[in-house]
Amino acid sequence: MLREVWHSLVRVTSFIGKELREVIRRPGVLASLVLGPFFIMLLFGIGYTGARSPFRTEIVVPQGSQLPRDQEFYEDLAPGRIEVVGISDSQDATENRLRGQQIDLMVVAPENAAAQLREGNQTEILVAWNQVDPVYDGLAHLAVATMVAELNAEIIRQAAAEGITLAEGELGPQVTDISPEVVAKPTTAVTENVAPSDPTVTNFFAPAVLALVLQHLGVTLTALSMVRERLSGQMDLFRVAPVNSMEVLVGKYVAYGLLTLLVGGIVGALMVFVLNVPIFSGYVIAIGIVLLLAFASLGVGLLISLVADSERQAVQLSMLVLLASVFFSGFVLPVQDFIGAVQYVAYALPVTHGIATLQEAMLRGEVRSLWMIGALAAIGVALYLLSLVRLRRILRSAS
Amino acid sequence: MLTGPGVTTSPTGPDPVISMSGVTRRFNGITAVSDLSLQVQPGTILGLIGPSGSGKTTTIRMLTGTLEPTEGDIRVGGQDPRHFTRGMRERIAYMPQLFSLYTDLTAAENVGFVAALYGISWFGRGAKIRRALEMVDLWEARNRRAGDLSGGMQRRLDLACAIVHEPDILFVDEPTAGIDPMLRQAIWDELRHMRDDGRTLLVTTQYVGEAEYCDAVALLAEGELVALDTPEAMRHRVFGGEVLEIETDATVTPELITNVAEVQSVRQTAPRTLIAVVDDAGTATPRLMETITGAGIGVISLEEYQPSFDEVFAELVKGRRAERGEVDDAA
Repeated sequence: MLREVWHSLVRVTSFIGKELREVIRRPGVLASLVLGPFFIMLLFGIGYTGARSPFRTEIVVPQGSQLPRDQEFYEDLAPGRIEVVGISDSQDATENRLRGQQIDLMVVAPENAAAQLREGNQTEILVAWNQVDPVYDGLAHLAVATMVAELNAEIIRQAAAEGITLAEGELGPQVTDISPEVVAKPTTAVTENVAPSDPTVTNFFAPAVLALVLQHLGVTLTALSMVRERLSGQMDLFRVAPVNSMEVLVGKYVAYGLLTLLVGGIVGALMVFVLNVPIFSGYVIAIGIVLLLAFASLGVGLLISLVADSERQAVQLSMLVLLASVFFSGFVLPVQDFIGAVQYVAYALPVTHGIATLQEAMLRGEVRSLWMIGALAAIGVALYLLSLVRLRRILRSAS
Repeated sequence: MLTGPGVTTSPTGPDPVISMSGVTRRFNGITAVSDLSLQVQPGTILGLIGPSGSGKTTTIRMLTGTLEPTEGDIRVGGQDPRHFTRGMRERIAYMPQLFSLYTDLTAAENVGFVAALYGISWFGRGAKIRRALEMVDLWEARNRRAGDLSGGMQRRLDLACAIVHEPDILFVDEPTAGIDPMLRQAIWDELRHMRDDGRTLLVTTQYVGEAEYCDAVALLAEGELVALDTPEAMRHRVFGGEVLEIETDATVTPELITNVAEVQSVRQTAPRTLIAVVDDAGTATPRLMETITGAGIGVISLEEYQPSFDEVFAELVKGRRAERGEVDDAA
């Protein structure tokens, strides 16, 4: 019994040593498949600011309008969202510039909004834009809503000021206790973000990048390892030798797990010590999540390597996993934005749980979505068992 | 000792290490090996010889348990290869036909990896690696990556990997394919050394001449066993007796010796050269000398002729086709 255990340990370590040597001696593969996407993501992290360019806006103020004609007034209506590039009194000329994409937004101010308000009529403010990008279309709606609210307040303020002046003449100065600004904007918001970390782009995306790099590394490395052995006849050696599928799998899990954790450790250290990303949960919880994510990711890679018919197919499947991860994992778009059925796809990816739990752990200090930790472990165990069954079948298949 | 067409089984011999009985293997309805029966005694080399596509690799894969037979029974060391125990697996070795090692690992690392697969621990592994590499003359190349080795060196490295755990039974698939004659000789020397150490080997080859190195030979053609015997017995069986080559100092006709009692058949290969098949070379030689010199013709040489195994196998295959009524393309 003890001899069997010892021999088993020897066999497992033989795979660990062999896999590590092979990876180290194929730096080209490591560079193109692993470091390539990593550097692309790093470039994205460094280069992406999250700030959108303000809409180039031209305001049309008709001749009879009492609204101001200075650019600053209008820019203050939606700070950072619009850049007033001109004030015009010709709607046709401005519209031509909009169609020619010389400007992004056209706002036509009402001619006599305050008078219309006094008469109990609603005034239309025409806002037009020329966008095919749905994101910018949405942002334009948001900018317009903010701007119109501010403009409404300005109109109310003007009307209130006129009303107060009239009332002072009739009733005396005591009515001036309420300023036109208060009438126009009876409430103002005092804002506070109670999250324990600053919501910066770097802080928010760093755990996601770490999770994505870990999964991609684990999947890609392992996806290639077994498919080579299956196609080049080494499986026949394993079939004849006194080695079982569990020893082969454990050896590969440990070898690639070590490599994945090494790269993950380097990326994590860069984030914490260079980019100053906080780890409010402490290292133990974060490392625990990383271990689970690596375990599940290696399972994805091993399963790919056991079903792929060629190295090319293994690489293609790995890239498909990466693509699915970028779209559905919450890395770019929140998982909750997808319909229910697609959310199941998202939650089938280890990285979805890795991103959410790492962000919670690192940026909030606690993992509230504990079910995700369980899901990550369950995915890892399920993939291990699937790989084990598949490899056992391959080693036994004397078809 | 051996079973097969025209071979008698020895009832007193030791139990065979390898035995196949009525084994057939089909792939999608195409028969790769048909009704194959053979036995291999311990401490011998059985050469599985035949042209490409004759079923050699299929046979060896069935014997190692990497392929299931469609029909028939196989025993290696008394066990069904499909259900080898770990202990049994530790006793056997398989060298596949194609180079199947890790090109990014060095020669020593490859041998070390295979040694570890057989449970050989770090302690003492180094000595076994060295011994295996020295046996195939690759010790000097131990630190070279397997992918940088020549084709011949890669085959020897495969062999070193197969023998590192000192197996009792070796299945060696085409060890000399694509290797120069000098190296082929060296590899066969090594295989015979292992046989001399008491190991049992089943070796496939498409080089018919290598039958000489085997203790027994199974000739396969189109998935069927054409012949199974010792090389000498096979030669004897094909030609119906021992073969003598007679060279004379003058032109001679076959009729001159046809009537000598021991002579079964005579053919002329040159004006002054005859090939005679006799029952026993020892008794036939003086009678032939007497007959030829009695006719006033001098005998330059009269010695036993060793037909090459290419000739032997060509005759065997030709005979098999004739039995089946097939037209011989070469005729």
